[in-house]
Amino acid sequence: MDRRAKKKLAGLILIILLAAAGGMKAGSFLPVIGSHQTPANTYLSGYYIENAMEHTHAANIVTAVLADYRGFDTLFETCVLFLSGIATLMVLFSKAKVKDRRAKEEPEEPVLPGEDERGRGGSILDTSFRIIVPIVMIYGIYVLFHGELSLGGGFQAGALIASAYLMDRIAPGFETRMGEIKEENMLIVAGLGTFLYAFTGILPMLFGGKFLEYEKLPFGNLVKGGAAGLHGAGILMIEIGVTICVMSVIMTILEVVLERTEFDDD
Amino acid sequence: MPVILLEGLLLAALITIAVAVIFERNLLACTIIYCGFSFGAMLLYIIVGAADVAFTEAVIGTISTVYFVIAIKSINRRCK
Amino acid sequence: MTEMIERVEFFLADRGIYMLTFVMLAIGIYGMVVCSSYMKKLMCMNILQVSIIFFFLTFGQKEGSTLPVAVSQTVEAEQYINPLPHALMLTAIVVSLGVTGVGLALLMKIRDIYGTIEEDEITGKGGGR
Repeated sequence: MDRRAKKKLAGLILIILLAAAGGMKAGSFLPVIGSHQTPANTYLSGYYIENAMEHTHAANIVTAVLADYRGFDTLFETCVLFLSGIATLMVLFSKAKVKDRRAKEEPEEPVLPGEDERGRGGSILDTSFRIIVPIVMIYGIYVLFHGELSLGGGFQAGALIASAYLMDRIAPGFETRMGEIKEENMLIVAGLGTFLYAFTGILPMLFGGKFLEYEKLPFGNLVKGGAAGLHGAGILMIEIGVTICVMSVIMTILEVVLERTEFDDD
Repeated sequence: MPVILLEGLLLAALITIAVAVIFERNLLACTIIYCGFSFGAMLLYIIVGAADVAFTEAVIGTISTVYFVIAIKSINRRCK
Repeated sequence: MTEMIERVEFFLADRGIYMLTFVMLAIGIYGMVVCSSYMKKLMCMNILQVSIIFFFLTFGQKEGSTLPVAVSQTVEAEQYINPLPHALMLTAIVVSLGVTGVGLALLMKIRDIYGTIEEDEITGKGGGR
């Protein structure tokens, strides 16, 4: 252990002691964990828990709070994610440079006859990914449509579907791969997802309601259950929007970072 | 409330892993330790009762680890 | 023996969990300040985020309650854990992924310009005027 690491360790011990003392002091005015009578557990949350089922037909109370009672918050969280996708693309956007490098490097690696993409990953990777990828995608779609009734929802579904694409992208030699998607197009799709969310909010306004007031959505004839059924339909619509946005943003970041590193193997 | 003992133990383990992230010198090893950290965090969320949050953390932790590994490919792995 | 375990449990519920969470937060901040590599700084930022998310989730706990997924039509507030912190923190985790992505993009840009991601070397080259 050199001097630098010793210094680091001494500072760490000092700061841990300070933080422990601070936590002891903070524990004296923070509520006891597990108590039913704390301010966080009394006023509003009881109303949410008792009425979520009746108002929205969503058994998963977290989804009901996220997409219905606090839908306005979630709209802007989705916007933040979309903005992070734009920021990543803008920071690393130098298409011409990458194209130049590709043109320069490709003649140096002639493809040998008989050597195709297939052999590089090994047959274990090939076979296992061929089985895993469809299952992950189906599970993602299940999580999206079942998110009101059990664990899950838009964010998890988007991340799962994107992780299927991610596996497909990073496993070399996967012979039935889906192919690359351009990150600019992916970002347009993300914008469409965010727009679907906002559109679900605007639609009731055209029929005499307020922003995100699902009871005024114009599919009263299509869904059962009256107002609660309409709430369920609204939740499903915005979950689809969130899924599309999360999925595309994850794919965008992956593509951008991958494109930057692909040619730097040396 | 026996759950709270488990909570405390897991938090202590997570603190140990966090210290290991700071002192590790190989960035790739660092990333793998961070992956372990995010899975420990997932267990912690389940114990607290936030199953939805745990589900999200499991998927997001994996994806961010993949991002780090891809980025490390073009970076010198040694660090001070 | 059981009495001692009970005392430890009461200490944890009263102060201990908050103390450990604060320690984790401090380690995250310390790592962000001390570590030289920018990638490690990003990881330490994620550690800090986990500790903050856990701090919020502790407020939702209720003794003897179950997960916030309703199993029957008649629901009482005492039976279920408080879902409000969960809904808030769910989005925070996803946004943390976006933050990681932007951070990695900036890191790649720094690598392109300076050829390294070590803070010492970059300031040594006159980057930190």
